[in-house]
Amino acid sequence: MDALAKSEFLPKEHVSQKPLVLWRPTAKTGLMSWLTTVDHKRIGFLYGFFALIFFLVGGIEALLIRLQLAVPNNHVLTSHQYNEMFTMHATTMIFLAVMPLSAAFFNFIMPLQIGARDVAFPRLNAFSLWTFVAGAIILNIGWFRMDGAPAGGWFGYTPLTTHQFSPHHDIDMWVMGLQLLGVASVAASLNFVVTIINLRAPGMTMMRMPVFTWMTLVTAFLIVLAFPAITIALVELMMDRLFGTNFFEVSNGGMPILWTHLFWVFGHPEVYILILPAMGIISEILPTFSRKPLFGYPIVVFSGASIGFLGFGVWSHHMFTTGMGAMATAAFSLTTMCIAVPTGVKIFNWIGTLWGGHLKMRTPMMFALGFIWLFMIGGFSGVMHAAAPADAQQHNSYFVVAHFHYVLIGGSLFGLLAGIHYWFPLMFGRKISEFWGKVSFWVIFVGFNVTFFPMHFLGLNGMPRRTYTYDADMGWAQGNLIATIGAFILAIGVGIYFVTMIYTFFRGEVTTRDPWDARTLEWSLPNPPPEYNYRFTPHVHARDDWWHFKQHPDEAAAAKAEHEKEDAGHGGIHMPFQSIYPFTAGIGLLIGGIGVSVVDPGSGRKLAIAIIGGVILVVSIYLWSLEGNEGYHLHPEDEEPHS
Amino acid sequence: MRLFAPFSNILRLGAFALACAGASLLSGCSWLIMDGHQSTIQVEGPVARNQLSLFLVTCWVTLVIFIIVGSILAYATFRFRARNQAEEEAKPPEQGHGNPMIEVGLIGASVFALVIIAVPTLKSIWYTNDVPAESKENAYQVTATGYQWWFKFEYPTEQIAGYGALTTGDELVIPAGRPVHINLRSIDVMHSFWVPKLAGKVDMIPNRANYLWLQADHPGYYWGQCAEYCGESHAVMRFRVVALSPRDFEEWLENQTQPARSVPVPAGDAQARPQAQFAALREFSQNETGSSGAFEVDPLSSWRAKQFVDKGEDPVLIARGKVLFAAPPADGGKTCGTCHTIRGVSGAIGVQGPDLTHVGARTTLAGSWLDNTPEQLRRWIHNPEAVKPGNKMWVNGYVPNNIKLTPEDEAALVAFLESLK
Repeated sequence: MDALAKSEFLPKEHVSQKPLVLWRPTAKTGLMSWLTTVDHKRIGFLYGFFALIFFLVGGIEALLIRLQLAVPNNHVLTSHQYNEMFTMHATTMIFLAVMPLSAAFFNFIMPLQIGARDVAFPRLNAFSLWTFVAGAIILNIGWFRMDGAPAGGWFGYTPLTTHQFSPHHDIDMWVMGLQLLGVASVAASLNFVVTIINLRAPGMTMMRMPVFTWMTLVTAFLIVLAFPAITIALVELMMDRLFGTNFFEVSNGGMPILWTHLFWVFGHPEVYILILPAMGIISEILPTFSRKPLFGYPIVVFSGASIGFLGFGVWSHHMFTTGMGAMATAAFSLTTMCIAVPTGVKIFNWIGTLWGGHLKMRTPMMFALGFIWLFMIGGFSGVMHAAAPADAQQHNSYFVVAHFHYVLIGGSLFGLLAGIHYWFPLMFGRKISEFWGKVSFWVIFVGFNVTFFPMHFLGLNGMPRRTYTYDADMGWAQGNLIATIGAFILAIGVGIYFVTMIYTFFRGEVTTRDPWDARTLEWSLPNPPPEYNYRFTPHVHARDDWWHFKQHPDEAAAAKAEHEKEDAGHGGIHMPFQSIYPFTAGIGLLIGGIGVSVVDPGSGRKLAIAIIGGVILVVSIYLWSLEGNEGYHLHPEDEEPHS
Repeated sequence: MRLFAPFSNILRLGAFALACAGASLLSGCSWLIMDGHQSTIQVEGPVARNQLSLFLVTCWVTLVIFIIVGSILAYATFRFRARNQAEEEAKPPEQGHGNPMIEVGLIGASVFALVIIAVPTLKSIWYTNDVPAESKENAYQVTATGYQWWFKFEYPTEQIAGYGALTTGDELVIPAGRPVHINLRSIDVMHSFWVPKLAGKVDMIPNRANYLWLQADHPGYYWGQCAEYCGESHAVMRFRVVALSPRDFEEWLENQTQPARSVPVPAGDAQARPQAQFAALREFSQNETGSSGAFEVDPLSSWRAKQFVDKGEDPVLIARGKVLFAAPPADGGKTCGTCHTIRGVSGAIGVQGPDLTHVGARTTLAGSWLDNTPEQLRRWIHNPEAVKPGNKMWVNGYVPNNIKLTPEDEAALVAFLESLK
């Protein structure tokens, strides 16, 4: 093999089949380096970057909703604008904020936790990212067009979203955007499954994997199995809208209840897709800041898997009022109650982790503790919904809005915000200010509760969801005003969090390696980690291997030296080539998607643009397949990496 | 119906209400007392009461769990925190990995808590699903159909020759003290029928034969609302339920099955000018409320008052209004009759909009969004789009037919419609 001391490309005579390489991007800095990157850390950063932008967009949509509802009979928004706002707020937060923020962590952290060089298919990883961006663009184009943004609700119930009742293109854009997001998510999830199964470092058995990696695996399976249901539903709706089929056309025998089932077969696992990554993050943070292992690791892992599995058996609890009949209602009521058990078990185990520890109350720990309290409350209102006859009053009222915001903000978002603080030193080498971190936590915590706690009462007092206005005599004015005030407090807290994070990114305090004295492998790396992650593939001897290494320094150091001697003979670090084709494939999908969903039919332009997009996609994939995947070898100089 | 519970329903409800009232007294927050028109707590019928009882069971179980788990969590957070730098950097604590006994015990306790909820849940599902077998024969049948954005109500047991079932809109009048079985349909998109004080909601789904049952314990006036997002004016698609004693209900049916009330013009006055002055309609601000507080002091009495003829009816104006409503366009008609039925008025035979045969006797208009007063009715006729964005009267009626109304036209139509008691 090569004995040269610098990185170089594989000489052509070493390949058995000549690849077709029109252009081999090599830039390591600048815009092109980002558009052609296949490095999981950069891709994770980009997911996080876009997710945080869309989180702000979704937040503004929420503030507009709260402004409109602050007082009865308000006229900040027209009814159509309001309907766009709640549709886009939900779609943005779920698909463009929480999911990609989770993906940011899956991408950046998971390969590091299992001691891998990158994910199994680096170019496919980049493709997922750019396809996600394409989907996000298509979902939001409507704001800039006469059609308006999608206004059919994030759940798109038919027949409201059929052509007859929604004749404009906003629903087409909603369908197309979600389809692209589905492609991105499924591709990324397949990638993660293969990575976790195949690329674990030697000695990293499944039961030694960090819980966050486990949750990545379960979430990936959920995505792969759940997205087909919504894909089918969206395809059927698109065929109805574009080609006159009758899946949901009631005048021709279509059945709206079909959409409801297909959507929720996806929709329920989707909420577990949203919460499991955050639970994984919490399961890393609590042990680190308690200085003891996760209590009952096998049970926590098993609970996560059970939640994923059982999550496919409860979907019709979103449909208790659709007249399914007593038998089906009873069945789903009981299965929904069952799923509370593994969820509760996790909470017990987290408390068990705290018990007897030395708790370090840093910002990530504050968010993690906040998670436990708020997710518990959200879980209780979920149990209330599980009792179907009680749900008959609660469904589609503000009680549900309170429930899911407790589990999604108090749960998912708090977990993700905790993760940002926790892994910031690893990713960027800087530590976020404790003072401002804690300030942001408390303002967010208070603002969140002031906003959403009153909504339980609003719902029990009969206020329905998705209503742009209400009369003063309904008794809802005071609760709504309190909620609106809370929303602005929450916004201030989020603002403080963002400013602090951005400031730290540019000028924050540079930190030593492993500032939290953490437990898992990724903390053994320099911060930020070098492009190739591990100089020598780690050999894993225990769960929480990094902690084990630190507690048994002598034997661990000896073992490490052994392995490194073996590795040194292997001729360098094998790195994947960068590529422009994932990006161009994403462009093809974007153009094709715009052609299908935005352009008016009838002029031939629609078909032309769709075809152009399709051609770009196909050519990109073809060239992608031909450019080969040999990669190149890196030989990092023998020097102590920066601390 | 008695549920499996350690306390009686009343005791639990009382304790719950006391907790809320106490908290609100302390904090001055009236939002904690859930006593609004659409309250699910201050219920007035057996179905809603059954659903509330079940809800309270879940409240108590989760409250107990919250207190126990929350106390342990709070205790652990304070007891085990590292108080200073030295404690943080001390040797790590014992690295316990778990305790299977505790795990199994907690799982068992969780399952037990869920069983406490599951048993009454199953009983309640069967009870609320349909009219109890012993009362089935006594159940009164009604059909409710969801339209964008109003509710149609039909009485299949009251057939009217030449028209079919008795049809009304906005206000569902039912007999009190008797189960009512409501068939739920939709003419267009998904809607949902929700009158919280009487029962939880069931959806109205096109091509699907849903139903619910409810019962009002006493005569009363109840507020309802569509609870499934159905488009632009979903927020203002509301309805009312009026429960009457059996005798009052028979009287109401008797009146409703009559054709529209006719107000004869006194002899010799056929060409006389109407007496009313046409004040300019006051400007309504965008999304201004259509309901006034006065009506709600005693809504059932207000409803009863609406059954009687208004003082100062102007027969000539009414006659003018009738012409505007139902005559062909060539004769000055405004095509109202092409969408609305008024039994007994030829030309008023449309079925796309609510039946207006006895609209004067209703307390609400426009999907129960506006009080039925002359001022609000005139507001609705004057500019429907400003009241309910996207409504079909505007989109399918006013706009394509280029309907324009002068203040005199509006006053006449209002007088005519209010006369239809």
